Amino acid sequence: MRVAIIAAGLTILMTAAPGQNTPSAENGKVVFDKWCTPCHGAVAPPRGFSAGALPGTSALQVKYNGELPPVLEERTDLVPEFIETVVRGGLFGMPITRKTEVSASELEDIIAYLTRNNN
Amino acid sequence: MALPPNVSEEDFASALAGFAQAVGDEWVFSSDEDVALYRDSYSIYWGEPEERVASAAVAPATVEEVQQIVRVANRYRIPIYPISTGRNLTYGGAAPTLSGSVVVDLKRMNRVLEVDEDRHFALVEPGVSYFDLYNYIQERGLNVMLDVPDPGWGSPIGNSLDHGCGYTMAPFRDHFGSGCGIEFVAADGEIVRTGTGAMPGSDTWQDYRYGVGPTIDGLLAQSNFGIVTKMGFWLMPMPETFLTGTVTVPRYRDFDALVKEVSYLEDSFLTGMPSFGSPAAGGGFGQAPAQVAELMQDGWPSVERLEEFVSAQGRPAWSVELRFYGPEEVVRASWEAAQRRFRDRIAGASFEDGDFWRLPLSAEELAVNPRKPLLGVPALEIFAMMARNPQTNDAPLEGHADLFAFVPRKAEAVHEAARAMSETYNEFGLPPTHHPFTTPINFYSRAFIVAAFVPTWRDAARNAQSRALFSRLIDRCAEHGWIIYRTSPAFQDQVVSKLSYNNNSLLRFEEKLKDGIDPNGIISPGRYGIWPAGLRSGRA
Repeated sequence: MRVAIIAAGLTILMTAAPGQNTPSAENGKVVFDKWCTPCHGAVAPPRGFSAGALPGTSALQVKYNGELPPVLEERTDLVPEFIETVVRGGLFGMPITRKTEVSASELEDIIAYLTRNNN
Repeated sequence: MALPPNVSEEDFASALAGFAQAVGDEWVFSSDEDVALYRDSYSIYWGEPEERVASAAVAPATVEEVQQIVRVANRYRIPIYPISTGRNLTYGGAAPTLSGSVVVDLKRMNRVLEVDEDRHFALVEPGVSYFDLYNYIQERGLNVMLDVPDPGWGSPIGNSLDHGCGYTMAPFRDHFGSGCGIEFVAADGEIVRTGTGAMPGSDTWQDYRYGVGPTIDGLLAQSNFGIVTKMGFWLMPMPETFLTGTVTVPRYRDFDALVKEVSYLEDSFLTGMPSFGSPAAGGGFGQAPAQVAELMQDGWPSVERLEEFVSAQGRPAWSVELRFYGPEEVVRASWEAAQRRFRDRIAGASFEDGDFWRLPLSAEELAVNPRKPLLGVPALEIFAMMARNPQTNDAPLEGHADLFAFVPRKAEAVHEAARAMSETYNEFGLPPTHHPFTTPINFYSRAFIVAAFVPTWRDAARNAQSRALFSRLIDRCAEHGWIIYRTSPAFQDQVVSKLSYNNNSLLRFEEKLKDGIDPNGIISPGRYGIWPAGLRSGRA
């Protein structure tokens, strides 16, 4: 399965539904830190590919082999729909995340955060 | 929209309206898209008709809302399936045992009600995760240590109710065993408190678990007799230091004496969770290294052949890492005493000092520390074992079903279990994952676990093979009297059917309780083989 969608040059405009707040990249970082960094953080304990590494970061390191940053927060090509698909559907060992864990608006905030530096 | 069994569309719609009245429209999930979030990500039936799926979900925030949900479910005979954080992966995740059940998602009940650093206990709601409880303790600088399972996103309540285990000292590693005081909503909607919680004005709910009269707490674990809304846990005072040391013994036959001595230390509370290994085999856990696989080509080797193999490798046959918690003087003395005892009992035993840390470690130190669970610090780093790595780059694992067989703490039992599992894998033409140097896991201090990790996929053909293997392993283990302590709904009936003493009198007793306590059979029908009367004929 192709999991990387490279969107060079694509500008993502986040639009808010009527009555909702504009997605907040600032809050997105807070939600990301709580729910995502235990696997996708930037500081990896020195354990290679066994227990003790950060699973998401080490997996993406293998997958991209230097072509893209393994740390999601350093990416500039992530597409909102793809982020939503992975968070809600899971991917490989990463499980489904429910709305009682990360709400719809919190997911929009995560997306705003991860796409803040998009080209 | 999926419907619960034997429920009309009209009644289901009325029930959903009743749930919405209880919790608000926002917290009733019934669209296909939302209900799909309650699938078991690691289901061994993913995408097949037998996959256990919900019909809807409802997420209460208070115990009163749970009561209302239970009353609505009774009125319309709706099967409901409570989950705490819904992260019981490999054991069913957020999905119900009976397809069509409405999941009662307790994630919003996420209050840490109390942590007492002088009496060393916590009282929490089911939606609290180990991460949440850890953060609560850190923010307040409380002087207690958690005992955590590998995945920190789990719930202390959910994990203990499924008999989960951790890594520190024996009394805390057994998470249900360290529980003290439960509040639950019974199937008739009444709130019940166990232990001294039943006495108004008592201040020992999290100190003394028995109260007076029968202790019913065990009925809430791996069962369907109520919805737990609060639970207390005993905690370890934060130790001053953590020290590890590794013992190695030279010969294959030394495993027997090694096990006996480790059991002495464990049962004397002189070590935390020991971790066995086999330097000669290059591990002891997971797929057999090439040289061990070669050794097994002509069948299970004799002990003499194994001793020759060990000699040829030039490394000790076995190792065990001991972990000590306490003041520096005490942990160093414990390690000294342990070395003396091994030296006196096993010729050629040798010793190596390991880690020594003053606790608690700072956040900066912990960030790069790969041994967080040993220090009661929640993490998700265990998932690196199954994540994409250079060997699995083309086809990373999508899930796993864990089979943990409980065997006696005896060397011969470990070897026998490894052999039975190895033969079972052979039947399926799979490479050996169990071998003469397979080591046990000590999550639970009084019995050994010999484990098998069976992959699951989002692919029916590969899952069919995994199911056949898993089911055969259950049968093989039962033939030897080894219980599988915990499993996903896909295998619960099979595992429970092995408890056949006196014509399954234990299960029949549980069924009588179920019929009396939950006559409409609304709570978690089928969980761990306990089906309500109306669905009993359909069980495996």
